[in-house]
Amino acid sequence: MEKTAAPPGRPRRLPLWANPRLGLVVLLVLLVAFFSILRPAFLDTRLTLTPLQSDISVYLVVGLAQLSVLSLGHMNLAVGRMAATSAFAMGLTHDKLGAGLIVSLTVGLLVGALLGALAGLIISRTGVNSFVVTLAMDFALVGLITILYASATDGVAFPTMPAGMEALRFDTFADYCLGDICGPRIPLVVPIALVAALLVGLLFRWSRLGREILMTGSNARAAELSGIPTRTRVVQAHALSGLIAALAGFLLAANNGAFSAGIGDSFLLPSFLAPVLGGTLLVGGAVSVLGTVLGATLTQVIYKGLNLLQFQLDQLQLYIGLVLLAALSLDRARHVLAERRGAAP
Amino acid sequence: MFVADKLVKTFPGVRALDGATLTLRPGSVHALLGENGAGKSTLVKLLTGVYRPDGGRITWDGEELHFGGPLAAQKAGIGVVHQERNLIPAFTVAENIVLHHLPGQAGWLDKQRMRAEARRCLDLLEVELDPDTPVARLSVAQGQLVEIAKALSLDSKVLLLDEPTASLTGDEADRLYTVVRRLRDSGHSVVLVSHKLEEVFAVADTVTVLRDGRSVAEAAPLEGYSQSAIVDLMVGRAFASIELPQRTVDASKPPALRLDSVDTALGHRDISLSVRPGEILGLYGLVGAGRSELAKAVLGLEPITAGTVEVHGKPARIKDVGEALRRYRLGYVTEDRKHEGLFLEQPVARNIAVTVWRRLAKAGLIPDRQERTLAATYVEKLGIRISSAQQLAGQLSGGNQQKVSLAKWLAAECDILIVDEPTVGIDVRTKAAFHELIAGLAADGLALLLISSDLPETIVLADRIAVMSDLRVVGQLDNTHNYAQMSQQIIRMIHAEVHTA
Repeated sequence: MEKTAAPPGRPRRLPLWANPRLGLVVLLVLLVAFFSILRPAFLDTRLTLTPLQSDISVYLVVGLAQLSVLSLGHMNLAVGRMAATSAFAMGLTHDKLGAGLIVSLTVGLLVGALLGALAGLIISRTGVNSFVVTLAMDFALVGLITILYASATDGVAFPTMPAGMEALRFDTFADYCLGDICGPRIPLVVPIALVAALLVGLLFRWSRLGREILMTGSNARAAELSGIPTRTRVVQAHALSGLIAALAGFLLAANNGAFSAGIGDSFLLPSFLAPVLGGTLLVGGAVSVLGTVLGATLTQVIYKGLNLLQFQLDQLQLYIGLVLLAALSLDRARHVLAERRGAAP
Repeated sequence: MFVADKLVKTFPGVRALDGATLTLRPGSVHALLGENGAGKSTLVKLLTGVYRPDGGRITWDGEELHFGGPLAAQKAGIGVVHQERNLIPAFTVAENIVLHHLPGQAGWLDKQRMRAEARRCLDLLEVELDPDTPVARLSVAQGQLVEIAKALSLDSKVLLLDEPTASLTGDEADRLYTVVRRLRDSGHSVVLVSHKLEEVFAVADTVTVLRDGRSVAEAAPLEGYSQSAIVDLMVGRAFASIELPQRTVDASKPPALRLDSVDTALGHRDISLSVRPGEILGLYGLVGAGRSELAKAVLGLEPITAGTVEVHGKPARIKDVGEALRRYRLGYVTEDRKHEGLFLEQPVARNIAVTVWRRLAKAGLIPDRQERTLAATYVEKLGIRISSAQQLAGQLSGGNQQKVSLAKWLAAECDILIVDEPTVGIDVRTKAAFHELIAGLAADGLALLLISSDLPETIVLADRIAVMSDLRVVGQLDNTHNYAQMSQQIIRMIHAEVHTA
């Protein structure tokens, strides 16, 4: 009798116009057009587009660091300070031990992963909200970083960088030619960020680890009762967040040209903006890496555009806030509208 | 007179109430009885404005009432004390009592008036309690009285008490019923929802019995019934039992799962049970008897403090569900599918395959195609109705959700399954299909521990029945599948236990 009954209704799938990724693309195109008309310099490759790509790369990776724990419905408020501590470790490894780029980077990534794992361990053992744990960790690391830089450097930054970081800072693929054919004017940090995004996407889409993290975020109780080691998954997700934060710290250091104490100061809000704009839920259970790429691009385009229109820094912050608020509200309105339509019989 | 006439309430896939009628006279205590799932809670929720009826009407002295929400019902004079506590622990007795109409001026609380009002309500009950005591310091019984006082503070003429003595001692219950009689004498209508027949017979004047969402006795004087006549009404002699193919359990096989004198940290004492391959052991009891908790202790989610658990004859110390699944092939289909069984925001395919990703994964990655194939196999096998494997589990009907939650354990190739309340909230026809399914699993050689509060279900499915009450096994019976005889035996077993407790 079950089989002969009428087939169930179509699943409620959001219509195309309600896809948040598509909305972001449209918004992005409109903004680029708007800025280009007002300031043709916006399309200047050397002046605008190349540095813009470097910035997008950094904030994409920052967003991925937050996305890793948003998958659980957790937050990592220490994302900036984890990046700073890891960057310090990279600088120290190079400065004191004379290690090269790869070794320094590896040490830094390891430090980031350990910090993240520590946060995850505290969260999963004590059951204290991730917000509180990472907030406390952020405070602790702020103090630690000041002490570390004061003891190991002149107080602000390491004087040297490993060989190769200069190239990451200034070079684009246009500087590398094979015979007459040179690459496009894309900074070297871009593929690093894209590979990171691809790997994170692969993790959450196809790997057992990533999926089990998402299931834990979706319903921790059901996950535990389905045989998923939820505590371990929490630690792993936070370790991943720390690791990616460390990578973001490295990329910013490369962009800035120094391992400095200020790295990560500006990470916290953008780390949420990119994934949330891209449709990743704060409640956990679903992530969108592509959305995060678009979200990071959108925020940086707005920033760059307003910058070119010669807004003062404080005005800049104000307008970015307004634009993002509008973008998020539009997104929400679109979603509610779509839900209402889908729910109708 | 308060009349709820022919109320109908449907949920997706279930007709929870199907023309239930409840009539209340002022100055009487009215018992609302029925087996688990008969529709009592739904009726209470309709009367208190939590749900809106899909059919029928509620009238008071001929005037029709419509409730926009729980507060509207309270303001109309219908008070309720739910089974679970609804007080704010950090607030005082007085603050809790007048919570919905705090006296005051210009936003400032008038503590004097608040205390006076609380005192008035407590006096109605003749309860000695300091209005300034924080509720956190009260006993369960005192808390219950405060809730009744809270309901009275809104000038309720109708008071619904849902299992008010479930967590009270005998003395406390007696005191509560003294209060109930006093309310009756002052002209209130009290509706008493209870499983404890002795108490019902001691206090109530009239009775309404619900069965399958219909009222089978309407406001009848309780004097006309004996306890067993009420039990007959509750369970219904005319239960159309489905014909399941005969299964024979090979008694020579060693038990697949055996509990021997198990104590748990939750208070279970001396639990001994065993299930053989191909056998269904029904674990029957009222809600709160500790059956799901026992299952969770076996799975390692709660500590076992004494006794042994054996799987296929070997002692097993299971530390979590993962180990139960992979090492002992023991699965647990949870009762609370929305919170514990399913990932509502995830596709059906993932819900089914989650237990076997470890097996499907190649180099840590899960091939989509194999996951889809696996999901399709069980969708077909269990007759799950979905539009695609990517449909979200939360969009399915109750019966299909339950099948998905069962499917993940079948996919994991378990050979022992603990199935907890498999058909709660599922309509009658799907229920029958589910029963066939479970019987089929046993015929295939699975050992099944069926936890159920549904007596007909237990008697139809089980080979043997263990009856639990108050964290103990109070008796085990071989099931004759003779419904009248078995149900009488089992219900007496439970009520005898409640009576002597």
